[in-house]
Amino acid sequence: MKTLNENAQSVGTILLEIGALLMSSGASTNRTRITMERIARGLGYGIELLITQRALMLTIIEKDQQHFFSRLKRISPHGANFRIVSGISHLSWNVMEQDWTIAQISEEVQRLKALPHYPRLVVLGMVGLAGAGFCRIFGGGYIEMTVAFVATVAGLFVRQEATKAKFNPYLCIFFAAFAASLIAGTAEYLKIGTEPDKALATSVLFLVPGIPLINSVTDLMDGNIQNGMVRAMNGLMIAFSIAMGLLSVKMILNF
Amino acid sequence: MIFLEIITKSFWAGIAAMGFAVLFNVPRRAILSIGMLGAVGGLIKFTVMNFDIGIIFASFLGATAIGIISIQMAHMRNSPPLVFSIPSVIPMVPGMFAYKMMLGLIALTSIENTDDYLQSLISTVNNGAKAMFILISLGTGVAIPMLLSRKESIKKSKFNKKKEVTV
Repeated sequence: MKTLNENAQSVGTILLEIGALLMSSGASTNRTRITMERIARGLGYGIELLITQRALMLTIIEKDQQHFFSRLKRISPHGANFRIVSGISHLSWNVMEQDWTIAQISEEVQRLKALPHYPRLVVLGMVGLAGAGFCRIFGGGYIEMTVAFVATVAGLFVRQEATKAKFNPYLCIFFAAFAASLIAGTAEYLKIGTEPDKALATSVLFLVPGIPLINSVTDLMDGNIQNGMVRAMNGLMIAFSIAMGLLSVKMILNF
Repeated sequence: MIFLEIITKSFWAGIAAMGFAVLFNVPRRAILSIGMLGAVGGLIKFTVMNFDIGIIFASFLGATAIGIISIQMAHMRNSPPLVFSIPSVIPMVPGMFAYKMMLGLIALTSIENTDDYLQSLISTVNNGAKAMFILISLGTGVAIPMLLSRKESIKKSKFNKKKEVTV
């Protein structure tokens, strides 16, 4: 094994970085744990983990059972990124099966972190189409779908700008919900289309906290009750922010 | 006609899944598969709901189908299954019920009339319960292949036909 020439400290640092990346990119607690344990095993170490929503705690045990190394790392939340989840999954199997070294691992992690997002226009357009799709699912016609598309694009744009300006994340969602429902609500106010209320109801659906809520159920099922509750609460707060945005518009337009 | 309506709705569910896939920055090779998965999940959900079966069980069946197919997809497209399953079930997430419950809760703070209060309370509890149970059924449905195979990784799962492919 490689235990002799690689020290536990650099293993710990890279493992914590990988774990923090996974947690903030939208992996469930169990997946984070399994991946970190797999990489550690591939490098010839045993580890014990404490995973919470905002921090990771790691103890590395060397094979001789006499040397330990512990460290904490804060997890900084930034949106879901499945490219990183997918890339780290590859990486963990490479460590297991092709005996990657720590230098190779950290190079790959740096590469994954630098991977580009989709161009902003593509994201705006696709999410707008998703909003139109939601409107169609709930029974809207083409006019309502257009309204939902425009409202969703505007809402997502506001959310991106608010996130860039480093507002509180829930406030970002409130702003986005407000902008989206203001546009859809104005359309309802002006009586554009036959069922304008459908456009209003679906214009904010792109903000739905899908990953927190689904991961919450996954975590609860896996027995990570604490993380599951935290995620569920986070999802509820997001739903509350959306409702507040919608309510503000309803109060302004008075219906 | 009902059949056509179901197909159209499923198509748009697939588009919505692709929209979320782009938002979650999935690898480019996975996007089309996610669109198809979302459409299949929607097709199953809307077909089952057409037979007067509740939205909760319908969502559960749709999510189970997505969970099982996403494991095959994971091998074909070389990415972990959650990359496929989460964006595909997002169109089924009960966002509408969740924020209707929130709006209801807010409305409950200002209603004076007892009858109105009861009406509002009933719909709020109804929406909240639906949101909760649909979510639980989605989470369980997606996890079903893993729960049944009792393996930590799909590399060792029975649902995995091609043993040599890396995920």
